[in-house]
Amino acid sequence: MKNRHKLWGALILLAGLHGLVLFAGFFAPYGSAAQERELPFAPPTRIHFVDARGKFHARPFVYGLKDDPQAIGSFAVDATRIYPVHFFVQGSSYKIAGVFPSHVHLFGATAPGRIFLLGSDEYGRDQFTRFLYGGQVSLAAGLIAAALSVLLGVIVGALAGFYGGWIDEVLMRGGELFLALPWLYLLFAVRAALPLHVAQWQVFLLLIAVIGLVGWARPARLIRGVVLSAKERNFVVAARAFGASDAYLLRRHVLPQTYGVILTQMALLVPQYVLAEVTLTFLGLGVGEPMPSWGSLLASLQQYYVLSSYWWMFLPAALLIPVFLAYYMAADALQERLKTVPL
Amino acid sequence: MRYLTRRVLNAMLLLAAISAFSFALLQSAPGNFFDAMRLNPRVSAQTVDGLRSKYGMNQPFPVRYGHWAFSVLKGDMGFSFSYNSPVGPLLWARARNTLLLTSIATLLAWLLAIPLGIWSAANKGRWGDRACGFSTSALLTIPDLLVFLILLLLAVRTGWFPTGGMISTGFDNFSFWSKCKDVAVHFALPAVGLAVVTWPVLVRHIRSAMVEALESPFIRAARGHGIPRTRLLFRYALPAASNPLISLLGFSVATMLSASVIVEVIMSWPGLGPLMVQAILSRDVYVVVAVVMLSSVFLVAGNLLADVLLFVSDPRIRVE
Amino acid sequence: MSGFRKEPLVCIRGLSKQYVQRRPLTSAKFTIRAVENVDLTIQRGGTLALVGESGAGKSTVVRCLSLIERPTAGEIWFDGVDVLKLRGKKLLPLRRQIQIIFQDPTSALNPGMTAGEIIAEPLVIQGEGTKSERRHRALELMEQTGLPAKWESKLPLEFSGGQRQRLAIARALALQPRLLILDEALSGLDLANQEMILRLLADLQAMHSLTYVHVSHDLRMVSDLADEVAVMYEGRVVEQKRTAELFAHPEHPYTQDLLDAMPSLESICEERSA
Repeated sequence: MKNRHKLWGALILLAGLHGLVLFAGFFAPYGSAAQERELPFAPPTRIHFVDARGKFHARPFVYGLKDDPQAIGSFAVDATRIYPVHFFVQGSSYKIAGVFPSHVHLFGATAPGRIFLLGSDEYGRDQFTRFLYGGQVSLAAGLIAAALSVLLGVIVGALAGFYGGWIDEVLMRGGELFLALPWLYLLFAVRAALPLHVAQWQVFLLLIAVIGLVGWARPARLIRGVVLSAKERNFVVAARAFGASDAYLLRRHVLPQTYGVILTQMALLVPQYVLAEVTLTFLGLGVGEPMPSWGSLLASLQQYYVLSSYWWMFLPAALLIPVFLAYYMAADALQERLKTVPL
Repeated sequence: MRYLTRRVLNAMLLLAAISAFSFALLQSAPGNFFDAMRLNPRVSAQTVDGLRSKYGMNQPFPVRYGHWAFSVLKGDMGFSFSYNSPVGPLLWARARNTLLLTSIATLLAWLLAIPLGIWSAANKGRWGDRACGFSTSALLTIPDLLVFLILLLLAVRTGWFPTGGMISTGFDNFSFWSKCKDVAVHFALPAVGLAVVTWPVLVRHIRSAMVEALESPFIRAARGHGIPRTRLLFRYALPAASNPLISLLGFSVATMLSASVIVEVIMSWPGLGPLMVQAILSRDVYVVVAVVMLSSVFLVAGNLLADVLLFVSDPRIRVE
Repeated sequence: MSGFRKEPLVCIRGLSKQYVQRRPLTSAKFTIRAVENVDLTIQRGGTLALVGESGAGKSTVVRCLSLIERPTAGEIWFDGVDVLKLRGKKLLPLRRQIQIIFQDPTSALNPGMTAGEIIAEPLVIQGEGTKSERRHRALELMEQTGLPAKWESKLPLEFSGGQRQRLAIARALALQPRLLILDEALSGLDLANQEMILRLLADLQAMHSLTYVHVSHDLRMVSDLADEVAVMYEGRVVEQKRTAELFAHPEHPYTQDLLDAMPSLESICEERSA
């Protein structure tokens, strides 16, 4: 696949996924906390155009659910109750970008019908809705933590590479220390030092800080390499000969050389960090209820009966794959581009 | 020899730094920790006070660190409140299990990765190589969590494998071979999961190391001399590629250790992972610190082993 | 070129540069004596050629002279000013007067900057002029070095090797230097380009009363354009004389070796016809 296509494909996929998550309020049919205690572990709702009597409906519809007489604890479709699906419906209120209030949802089924695109969990909450809202938490965690790691990496790497000497020694030794610790254990350890019961958003921020702070060593090393080779380039020497200050050299000539590495590192780190947050939350060490996260969506799978009977609970994990794919494709394409940039 | 002593010294320094870091971690929690402990009915007030004075809570930092470091070196790593036992014995059994699992998984992953990486490099550009590249990329996009959950599902649905734990009931009565078989059947899925998760990155690195070796001038010269392909591959290129590969081994210990935490928790393998998670949830600080230190020791030891292997196998390093 | 002797522009006395390398984590050091006790004089408005084999220390001397590196010992006097005593801000006016052109023009130009930006950069660094003044000056310099003004917004990769060297020269002239050092600046070019650049340099020297230092290992080129030649061998200057004198009466055995190794025009013609 040609590199340019790869890059564009990845970027479009990323824009789509992030857009979906960003405007979760609009795309999700229900509010993030909406429960339907009557319908725990409902399977994904099928959308129909032709009803049991063979009649074609121009407007798609879903069936109601009733208890399945043959399998206790599961639901069967009740073909007698038909609930049409509408688009641009009025539903629960939410805020666009946290500021503008709105009621409009992309789609929804007429009450009391429910449209569970990905099924429901033990409280009857729509998994699709929770996936979108959870994405806000998990993706934001990954992005911010990755930005933090890369920012630290740039500062440390630039200082170490540019000034060399004992600064370089000390910083790189420190980096070695961080690289020597198995990152997940380190994450756990720092998490352990934090109090368990703090406000939700504080946990979120602390989590991001911890994940981001743990991973600065590898970007720092890479940036240091780029800075080392860049500062020896003759155009930097020439600028120095004109009397340029260190700050000017860094800003104008050296750091621009690192942009490619920075982007690639971001593209590689974001999925890793998203997974880190998901893992932590899955194990009960991350953000807790009721803040949705992809990790908490998967947490119930630790119970055998959920694991074996309710296959749709796997879907959030499966949906992680396109997220990873998009980021890795972008990273691949960026790395290819870096190789061809004339140095 | 100087190379080796340098690496050993480096390792010691690293461990010392890690221990200092762990100790600092320990100190950052204790205030509220010990107070919380007083409220715990399972722990008597005397135990708490005894521990407080034993670890010299009222003395300056370096003194406390010194005390603690000494005790650790003697084997006394503190006290676990949830298990109500000293940390040491708790740790060893778990550590042994984790080591067992990760070594087998490492072996499996490398056994799969090396032939594939070599074959891929030898057939660079052809469809076999491309298929291989494609499948490793595809595998990389699947999150570890999903892989382990699917394996667990497999166990639950088919019943071919146990769904967790390390041994079955009545283990003590088994014959030696039955015991081995029992443990093997238990670690099969976790080990496979770990191998699947770490294998793609290994294949990629092996392939690129081999490609670099194969494209180097001395190999091309050897080819020009008419040396047959297989001999070229194994007797010339592979040794040349072994340097980066051995470093890779050291590095893969880290990823393996981290991934093992998740698989151990999901598949209830009694290793360091579940111990750690439980310890965090129950605020068992000494256990947490001990596990962090131990896993770091494993990592540093793994890297040191790689350094020794490098020294033994690569003459260029010996000359230096 | 210069007929009579005035105060030399540059006086270098006892210049030494050592590089000390230490193996990490050990105390073993080894010293490389790149340049040892070098004396050089450069006359105003003239051209000095600095010749010698690779590793003789020529580049190190000019790097010290152009203030890119500090020598470990010695003095450099530029127009009566003790250069090495100056630090920081005081060095700035001196930096305007000495410029260096490198062997590889491609590496000397930031691939992401346009030609106009590259030439104007010294003015930006020294904080001179407004944006339009700098642009005006850049266009002026492009004209002087034979580059069409409309190429102002092109990137270096769109220029050929010879044109890039012109770009580097234009940039070096931006601050109106007195001394221009050419560190093997012509070695990377083909003969045709070499000719053109040499002619350009000659014109510029006349136009701006420049003093040149040519570092080279090509003696034939040296014999054409230099007033004086200094021969370096293993970090020391073994001989410095006016060109004609050096070629006619070389004193140091190494100089003799160099001259012997240089094929004369007659011998080349003989080989060809043979």
